[in-house]
Amino acid sequence: MKQMKTTRRTFLATSAATGATGFVLGSANMLRAQEGKVLNLRLDGDNQILDPGYMVGGTEVEAQKQCLPFLAEYVRDGDAFSWQPTSYVTRLEYADETHIEFELAPGLMWSNGYGTLKASDVAYSYDRMKESEWSGYFDALDRVEVTGELTGTLVLSSPFAPFIMVTLCHGPGAIVCEQAVKDAGGRFTTEFPAVCGPYTYSATPGQRAVFDRNPEWTGPAPGFERVVLQVITEVQAAELAFEAGEVDCTELGPDALARYTQNPPENTAVTTAGELQYMWMGMNTEHPKLQDIRVRQAIQHAVDVDSIIAGAYANTSSKSNGIICPGLIGHRSEASYSYNPERARELLAEAGVDSLQVTLRTQNWQERLLAAQIIQANLGAVGIEVQILPLESGPFWEMGMEEAGDTWQELELWLMRFATVPDPYEATQWFVSEQVGIWNWERWTDEEFDRLYQEGLTETDPDARAGIYARMQQIMDDTGAYVWINHEPEVYVHRTNIAIDAAPSGELNYRNFTQV
Amino acid sequence: MLSYLAKRLTLSLIVVALVLMLLFSMLHMIPGNPAILALGTRATPEAIAEYSARMRLDEPVAIQFLIFVGNAFQGDLGTDVFSGRPVTQVIGERVGFSMALIFSGMGWAILLGIPLGCLAAVRPNSWIDRITGVFSVGTIAIPSFLVSIWAILIFAIQLGWLPAIGAGEPGDIGDQLSHLILPAFAIGLGWVGYLARMVRASMLEVLSEPYIRSARAFGLSPRKVTGYALQVAILPTITVIGMGFGGLISAAVFAEIIFARPGVGKMIFDAVSDRNFPILQGGVLLATGFYILVVLLSDLLIAWFDPRVRQSL
Repeated sequence: MKQMKTTRRTFLATSAATGATGFVLGSANMLRAQEGKVLNLRLDGDNQILDPGYMVGGTEVEAQKQCLPFLAEYVRDGDAFSWQPTSYVTRLEYADETHIEFELAPGLMWSNGYGTLKASDVAYSYDRMKESEWSGYFDALDRVEVTGELTGTLVLSSPFAPFIMVTLCHGPGAIVCEQAVKDAGGRFTTEFPAVCGPYTYSATPGQRAVFDRNPEWTGPAPGFERVVLQVITEVQAAELAFEAGEVDCTELGPDALARYTQNPPENTAVTTAGELQYMWMGMNTEHPKLQDIRVRQAIQHAVDVDSIIAGAYANTSSKSNGIICPGLIGHRSEASYSYNPERARELLAEAGVDSLQVTLRTQNWQERLLAAQIIQANLGAVGIEVQILPLESGPFWEMGMEEAGDTWQELELWLMRFATVPDPYEATQWFVSEQVGIWNWERWTDEEFDRLYQEGLTETDPDARAGIYARMQQIMDDTGAYVWINHEPEVYVHRTNIAIDAAPSGELNYRNFTQV
Repeated sequence: MLSYLAKRLTLSLIVVALVLMLLFSMLHMIPGNPAILALGTRATPEAIAEYSARMRLDEPVAIQFLIFVGNAFQGDLGTDVFSGRPVTQVIGERVGFSMALIFSGMGWAILLGIPLGCLAAVRPNSWIDRITGVFSVGTIAIPSFLVSIWAILIFAIQLGWLPAIGAGEPGDIGDQLSHLILPAFAIGLGWVGYLARMVRASMLEVLSEPYIRSARAFGLSPRKVTGYALQVAILPTITVIGMGFGGLISAAVFAEIIFARPGVGKMIFDAVSDRNFPILQGGVLLATGFYILVVLLSDLLIAWFDPRVRQSL
């Protein structure tokens, strides 16, 4: 049998050569990354379905915004969010409460020889959306009337104030090329059949997505020739990649945000996209332990939300006073209760409760568990013993659903967070009477709340809408079933020489990134 | 030898079948509606029903299992529920990255660990033996995900020598190799220590055998004696290395997540989170097959090295 020929000398030589090769190759790679106007970003997972009708959401919306036309886009107006027509239209305006007229910019070309963008593409896209998995966004749309090659009217079945903000600015509002989609068989997944935007799109699954300048694009030029998105699923790994200089911008988690805020590295800026998430501690109003509203109110008074924000979120998120997030119509600056453990004890005494054990369910995430522990300590201080039950996503998200079993009957307290769109109607829809046993896990009903919800949909006057949503949140406070916690922000860290553009819900719009 | 191979292959098929049955049972024990998890909490009932039908979640588990096995024998592992692409294609795009990582991780561990173990054994209680001991215990004790993070902090962020994330530019072998160094280092480091300890212990045992004393008495050079001893001492290490390849699939998950590399481990991890059953089933089938294959190869290698094993087959 042949003997092993590895000697100490050959081994050392091999190791040295391998190390040197890696060093040289790595250095060359670093140099390459700095060449040209290339923007390096993070992608939190592969884009699975780019078709707006069947997308999963998230980064797929980001891809659509670079490659497909939209009629409207978000714009930040001071601390509030509003909308404006995109460069794809020369006109987008309400003719009346149910008619939105548009005129497309002339000469915008679809790729792959599919000709110019036409009003018929808009009609095809939105008719198609009404039959898609995202049809809910188009419930208010009756039809699209094509009045010319570039002009048309979106006809709503009834006044629906948030239509432009919620539908046209968001992913479902993407317009596809009628002929290209038909040629692709009516649906598409990981490739756009035709693009009409500043970038073309290609992807290597599991590795990266690349947006290259679209040579046929005649609209406003993007700030970068190429955008490369590396697939980095974990936010902490993306933070390391940012520090290693391999991505120019990435999302930050609460811990990293605190670190970057207190001790920012050189040439680093932090931008908050929006705070369209609302977290609360819910209480089951039908549970025998919590049926007495005084017990629920005692819990409201016993929880020190400021401590949760400091302890679990390192003061990186703003305190919540309801379900309407900062920047939206109806956002409140304070709730109708406050931290007052003495009052909590009085309420418990009035209710005749001298020993109470409750279970607090939460997702098994670090911040949530910390928040739960602070609540446990707060409630313990007024004589309520809390057992924390951490749960994985699967059981957590169906524990209040009647169709998923009987767990909803055992629910007592839970920590919940919803994300929303830049209009207050979306957050309120989950708490109407018909949502009891679906998403209204607190299980209360209120006729006034249901009526105000419908009024909020059709009311177009911003002041009147603000009044409606303020009242709806007051009704929620009065149930005693909520302790509002915080609005977690969508925060990005980036190089100071790059100006970023992010939608309120956090989606990045690379076409508007610029070098400064 | 052929009958031995046939027996092992039959056993391997039984193991694969058992693993798949266990997997199917466990998939249906995972709490949470996979349709809601996959489509999001705001999915419409129609979308949930359509998804369930597409994934055949409404069929009995036994039927799902038989359908999967039947299709798998024809090379069809189903389609990714999100993108609609064949699972074989999705796995095919990633398997090369995993194999490169696993083999390079174990490769450098073998290249360093075995000589270190030999050195320590031929000079017992010397300074090199003590240093090897400390190094071995230290590297075994440090979890590979910590090594990954430290490697990035030191070599990518502080020194800037090596890239931190990704698998490199597609088609650029040099770039891909440079992206492989840190993850391979991270998952292989623990194995260096482990192999060094194993080889040292085996070598010490073999070096005290009478036939080694005889070889020395006949005046064979120390190098030759060490070579003969290693041929015997390496046998248990080969078994461990074979099994270690299976373990590296798990260790690779951390490396693939932290270094943002594509790979089968991360794909399986994501599939569990997304309840993407076809991808999960295909990935587990591949991992099981790979594990069985390397264990079989290591057994055959031992038989090749050791005539006693060959004769007993």
